[in-house]
Amino acid sequence: MGIINSIIEFSYYLISAFIAFILLREIVKTKDAQEAVLYSVIIIPFILRILRIK
Amino acid sequence: MFLHAGIVLIIIAVTFAVGTYFKLGIELAMLLSALAAAIYHTGGVPVRHLVEGAFTYYDVSLIFITATLFINLVKESGGIAFMVRKIIIRFHEHRYLTLLFLTFVLMIPGALTGAGAATVLTVGTLVGTVLIYMGISETRTAAIIFLCASMSAAAPPINLWAMMAAAGANMPYVGFMQPLLVITVIGALFTMFFLGAKGENPELDKILKELPVPPEKMNWTRVGTPFLILIVLIVAGRLFPFKMPILGLPLMFLISALAMFILSPKKLNILNIAGKTIRSLIPLVGIMIVVGILIQIMALSGARGLISLAVVTLPVWFLFASLFIILPVSEGLLQYAVAPLLGVPLIFLFNMKGFNPVIILSAMAVMWPIGDILPPTAVVGRATVIELDYSGRYYKDFLKTCLIPMAFILALCTIFLVFSNQLSFLVGG
Amino acid sequence: MSSKKLIIIKLLTAVLIITALVISARSFLAHRNYKETVVAGPSVTEVKTLGDYFEPIKNTVADCNIYILDSGKPGAIFFVIGGTHPEEPAANLSAEILAENATLEKGKLIVAIRANRSASTVTRPGDAYPQFYTIKTDWGEKKYRMGDRWTNPLDSWPDPEVYVHYPSKQMLAYMDIRNFNRTWPGKKDGSFTEQVNYAFMQIIKQEKVDLFIDFHEAELEYPVISTIVAHESGRNIAAMASMMLTDMEFEKPISMEFSPKSLHGLSHREVGDYSDAISLLFETPEPFLDRVRGITDEHLLLEGKDPFVQRAGEFGLLYETIDEDGWPIEVRVGRHCSTALMVAQIWNQMNPGKEIKIKNVPKYAEIIKNGVGHYFKNPANMDSDRIYYE
Repeated sequence: MGIINSIIEFSYYLISAFIAFILLREIVKTKDAQEAVLYSVIIIPFILRILRIK
Repeated sequence: MFLHAGIVLIIIAVTFAVGTYFKLGIELAMLLSALAAAIYHTGGVPVRHLVEGAFTYYDVSLIFITATLFINLVKESGGIAFMVRKIIIRFHEHRYLTLLFLTFVLMIPGALTGAGAATVLTVGTLVGTVLIYMGISETRTAAIIFLCASMSAAAPPINLWAMMAAAGANMPYVGFMQPLLVITVIGALFTMFFLGAKGENPELDKILKELPVPPEKMNWTRVGTPFLILIVLIVAGRLFPFKMPILGLPLMFLISALAMFILSPKKLNILNIAGKTIRSLIPLVGIMIVVGILIQIMALSGARGLISLAVVTLPVWFLFASLFIILPVSEGLLQYAVAPLLGVPLIFLFNMKGFNPVIILSAMAVMWPIGDILPPTAVVGRATVIELDYSGRYYKDFLKTCLIPMAFILALCTIFLVFSNQLSFLVGG
Repeated sequence: MSSKKLIIIKLLTAVLIITALVISARSFLAHRNYKETVVAGPSVTEVKTLGDYFEPIKNTVADCNIYILDSGKPGAIFFVIGGTHPEEPAANLSAEILAENATLEKGKLIVAIRANRSASTVTRPGDAYPQFYTIKTDWGEKKYRMGDRWTNPLDSWPDPEVYVHYPSKQMLAYMDIRNFNRTWPGKKDGSFTEQVNYAFMQIIKQEKVDLFIDFHEAELEYPVISTIVAHESGRNIAAMASMMLTDMEFEKPISMEFSPKSLHGLSHREVGDYSDAISLLFETPEPFLDRVRGITDEHLLLEGKDPFVQRAGEFGLLYETIDEDGWPIEVRVGRHCSTALMVAQIWNQMNPGKEIKIKNVPKYAEIIKNGVGHYFKNPANMDSDRIYYE
């Protein structure tokens, strides 16, 4: 059970990382300044969670 | 402290108004309000609080993203087109049965994701096309799609307003399944039959020509299995909790999405669809993140307490007589932020006065999404008219047509509020 | 917008966001890694850790200290825990007063100051808690981590769709799988928090604990407040203690309530049901936890004064009274310490021959007079082998 739980937990970090990756790509790609600012704010919790800081 | 918190609220309101006046999106206007309030309260920029607030609805956002990915995969595989075509072929001679099953199809995406926009974006156009071919006017069709989308957002298992308010009130999100189901199903069916009962029987060939054709190999097993897996995972977690590992809703949705990917007769580019899903959800995830930041700053500065105090000291009869207006209007103004801001003190007050908190919150959590048609945000309302390519006037046609079903749903919710104790037998699931 | 302008905005935003990331990350890490100093009192004969009782916990974030104060003379064994919910500071401060001051003349006292250590390494998003609070002592200030009600998600992720309590199968809120006072009696191969509870049950069983006390605080909007919640096996002790304390020591009464048999996962129910120990839970009022509270800061946390909560009281919306004096930390810690001492005194009357004699622990009036910090020793003046970190 311990190993399965670890795999599940790891998969949640992967999900977060994938979302962060898409957000980062959108920040680079967008031509709308407001969108760039908003996406940059949204990405904050994803980064801190992936790094296991918060 | 009353004056201080009052000034903070004024700063938030004024900054928000100025932000929207200068064409800032609602999310950025809200963020700016939070920043202004934080600077006034602390005399600096409380970075830790701003960042910590962004985590408030982190897990809710994950549920929302993965659920929408699942629904999008069903759509991209041709599953939704398949379901709608089958309903039409089987029941086109029975108008009421067709309407009944179309209501069911409209309810699924929002019920699973907690977002009305998910319904509009995934099944809205498809069902809308069928409804128009059934002789329902464009305006009435748009009204049906919007209101059923609102009801689907409120429908269980995922009701984001109830989840957010319950979490804020330290109240288990348990027992909401039945009351939410009863109110939303009645609301959606009333809307569908009130607005769509009259009309000619559809000409099968014409409709089928208009609807997208699913891949040839698509069948009920392929489209049904992922939903079945989702249900099995949820039920197994409840029936065999000590043998099942804790998957969490996001992973359950991903597993079901994976099943859809495998079973799809059409090869799906899962990474592309996932990317598209996240991109389409950014505004909604953005609002949840920003609402969290705003709530944190309001809690820090006492503004949240002042609102809570104002709410809990109101007489109950006044709330009964006004919530059906206050809740939708506040939703139009603040989106999901209303659930923790108004919902939590309201639960506290009603609970204190001896009302059943689960029924009360269920009723409120159905009233809120109705406000998604109202300005300044009107997220689902706008999505509906854009997605259906609606050519009528937003307020004078579309909103006006929604009014009677809206009044019915709001009246139903008010009955649930007033008679929450008598209806407490509904609590369950 | 020109592409040059857009790039400038993007770069500026990136700089601001990276700055925010760095500042907040440092702040979160400093909080998670901060170590509180505890000076083992004169009767502390041994300091074990939770992992000594259940190996999988060893060296994890949950591996809190277990202070054993042994008189060397046979008698009753009491086990007191603070920090079940680290957003309730009177609980861990009271437990620390016991660990640093109590002298045992008969029987044994076991103390855990940070029972759910993981929950003390995170503050709740959306609630604007301060990360730290400081207590003034006779030798300077002592700093503590403020925590949350729930285990840190970094240690337990994800939450289930619905939390089904083990072994009762009662359905509870999904996040309560991380609530240390909803996961008793724990599960050996369960979730992180369930394993921590399981480890605590091992202490209760292996050390043959006679009476278990769980310190808490509650919002004034919550009906279970200013009370001793007792498992049926402890009803007489709790009833006597509440009467004596209300009559002799406290200005505002303390009541007693029976642990509901149908509500599972709480220490007052499960410890009593799944061990031979009598289980009691103490509650003091903490206005900081109220939803209608005003400015959220350390001052409110420690002074317990809030005009908004007071106004809610004027409207009859609270289960405990509050005036302009508030509920300061001295009053709250004083109530916990006195209640624990009174319970011991009544235990001794009811169990002649199997007494526990605890001396040197300040009572309610003394703590109010001298302050909480007066009872914390200066680590600088102590031998290093008496110093422990939480």
